[in-house]
Amino acid sequence: MFALVDANAFYCSAEQVFRPQWRGRPIVVLSNNDGCIVAANKQAIALGIKKFQPYFKAQKLCETNGIIVCSSNYELYADLSHKMMQVIGRFAPSQHIYSIDESFLSFQGCEQTISDLALHAQKIRQAVWKETRLPVCVGMGKTLTLAKVANHVAKKWPGFNGVCVLDDDKTIRQVFAQLSPIDVWGIGRKSSSKLKQNGILTVLQLSQLKIHHLPAGFNVEFQRTIKELNGEVCKTWDSVRADKLQIFSTRSMGKRITNKEHLNQALAKHASIATAKARKQQSLCATLMVFVASSPFDEAPCSHKILKHFNPPTNDTSEILRVIHDNIELLFKPGIAYYKVGVGLLNLSSEKHQQWDLLNPHHHNTPLMKILDEINQRYGSDSAFFAAQGIDQQWAMRRQFLTPQYTTNWLHIPDIHC
Amino acid sequence: MKFIRITASAGITGFESPASDYLQLPLSLDALLVEHPSATFIGKADGCSMQGVGIFSGDILIVDRHVMVKEGDVIVANLNGEFICKILNISQRLLASANPHYKTIAITEADQFTIEGVVIRSIRCHRASQLLASTI
Repeated sequence: MFALVDANAFYCSAEQVFRPQWRGRPIVVLSNNDGCIVAANKQAIALGIKKFQPYFKAQKLCETNGIIVCSSNYELYADLSHKMMQVIGRFAPSQHIYSIDESFLSFQGCEQTISDLALHAQKIRQAVWKETRLPVCVGMGKTLTLAKVANHVAKKWPGFNGVCVLDDDKTIRQVFAQLSPIDVWGIGRKSSSKLKQNGILTVLQLSQLKIHHLPAGFNVEFQRTIKELNGEVCKTWDSVRADKLQIFSTRSMGKRITNKEHLNQALAKHASIATAKARKQQSLCATLMVFVASSPFDEAPCSHKILKHFNPPTNDTSEILRVIHDNIELLFKPGIAYYKVGVGLLNLSSEKHQQWDLLNPHHHNTPLMKILDEINQRYGSDSAFFAAQGIDQQWAMRRQFLTPQYTTNWLHIPDIHC
Repeated sequence: MKFIRITASAGITGFESPASDYLQLPLSLDALLVEHPSATFIGKADGCSMQGVGIFSGDILIVDRHVMVKEGDVIVANLNGEFICKILNISQRLLASANPHYKTIAITEADQFTIEGVVIRSIRCHRASQLLASTI
C-alpha cells in the first residue's frame, strides 16, 4: 500500500502558520519578482483568482476583495516543508519526498499492523496539522498512480474529509467513472485529447483498455499507467536521485539592467549559484553557457549567448567569473534593457572519476571553494561571496510583499504577546 | 548526525591522549531545549503579564506543538488572530496571567481560539546575544 500526502495550497498555508489573523482568509502568493500568481488558496479561487495570471491583471480584484498578497518567501517554505516531511515520515517505514509539498509513503511489509487505513490516514492529517499547522490531504492506493488518484479525490471532492483510500474494487470503479483521464498522473493534455478522439472519456474506460490493443501513438509509459490503475505496481521511486546533467541558474530582473557593471554582477551571482550546486553534487563543468535577453514583450526583443569550453572541466567559481568578465563586451550592448540573464553549466561529469591531464594542468582552487561552501552552509547563503557579484545589487529580485523568515532568522522570530 | 572525530596517528606525533577511549559528544543546548524539532517554533515574549512564572519581555520562548496540553500549562494560543502566552485553565475556559496587574481572559463562543503549543522552556539572555542584537 502507498500513500500520497500533499499540502493544500502549500505556499498560502505556510504564510498563515505565523499569521493566525490570516487563517481562513483569501491569500495569493506571487512568483519571483512578483510577476504572476503561483499559488492561491480555496478562498482566493472562489473570488475569481486564476493561477499563473500576471499579478497586474489581478491586482484590482485583490484590492477590492481584501485578498492578501505575498511575495514568495522560499526561506520560510523550505523550512516548513522540511518540518512537515519529518512529521509525515513518522507514519511509514519508507518515505519519498516528491516535491516541496508532496510526499509518498510506502507501507510495504507492515500492512498487517495497520488495521484501518482510513484511520491511519486521518492520524497523519491530524498530526501534521497539530505539529506544523499545515493542512494536508492523504490518498492511499495499491500503486503510486492509485495513491495519486486517491489524493486528488480527497482534495477535490466534498465529503471525503481530506482522506481517500482506494482499496476495494467497488469504490475504485465508482471513483474512476467520475474522473477524466487528465486527472491521472502522467497523462497530459496531448494524450488526454487523443483519448477523447478514441471515445475514452473516463478513467474507468481508460483502466479497461487492453494493453495489446492500444490505439497508435501510446508509449510504454502509458501502458504502465494503465497497469498501475489496475493495481499492478510498475512505478517505484529511486532511492537515490540521479545527478543533474545540466545546471542552470537564471532569473528575470527586479529592475532592468542597462549598464555593463550591473550585467556583470548579475551574471556573477548566477555563476556562483550554479557552481555551488555543481560542487554539491561533485560535478565538473566542461561547457559554460552565458545568456542575456531583453523581455519577449519588448518592441525589439533581443537575446544573446556565448559558449565556452573548459579543458580540464571545472567547478571553481573564479574560473567561470573570469570568463564572464573577459566576455562582457560581447554580451553587453548599450541601449538594451536586459530583463532575463542566466548561466548554464553543461556537459557535467563526475569529479570523482576525473581524468587528469599531464600537459593541461587544472587551475581550480578546490580548498578555497570548499571553505567558501562551508562558510555559506554554516552562516547562510552569501555570507561570503565574490566581489564580482556586487555588494549593492540594484538589479536584485523584487519581493515587495515579503513576510518575515519566522523560523530561519533570529531577527524575524514571531512576537508572542504576554 | 554528529560524529566524534578520532584521528588516526602514526610516527612522531606525541602521545595518545589517555582520555581518547572516553570521548563523548559535547553538551548540546538543542538537545536540552528542543524535544520535538519538527514540531517546535521559537518566539519572543512581548509584555509583562507572565512575570510570575519567570517570563519577562524580550525572553525567548520555545513552543512545542507535539506535547499534550495539560491543565495549568503555560501555552501559546491564537486568540482572535494574535499569538498570546498565558496559563491555561481548561476546566473554567480561562487564560490566566501570572501578574496581578493583568486580568484573566475568559474564552467565549465568539472568540477565535486555538492552542498553538506549550511553552516548554523560556530563555533569558542576561547579556544581549549577538544574534538577537537589533531586536533588543
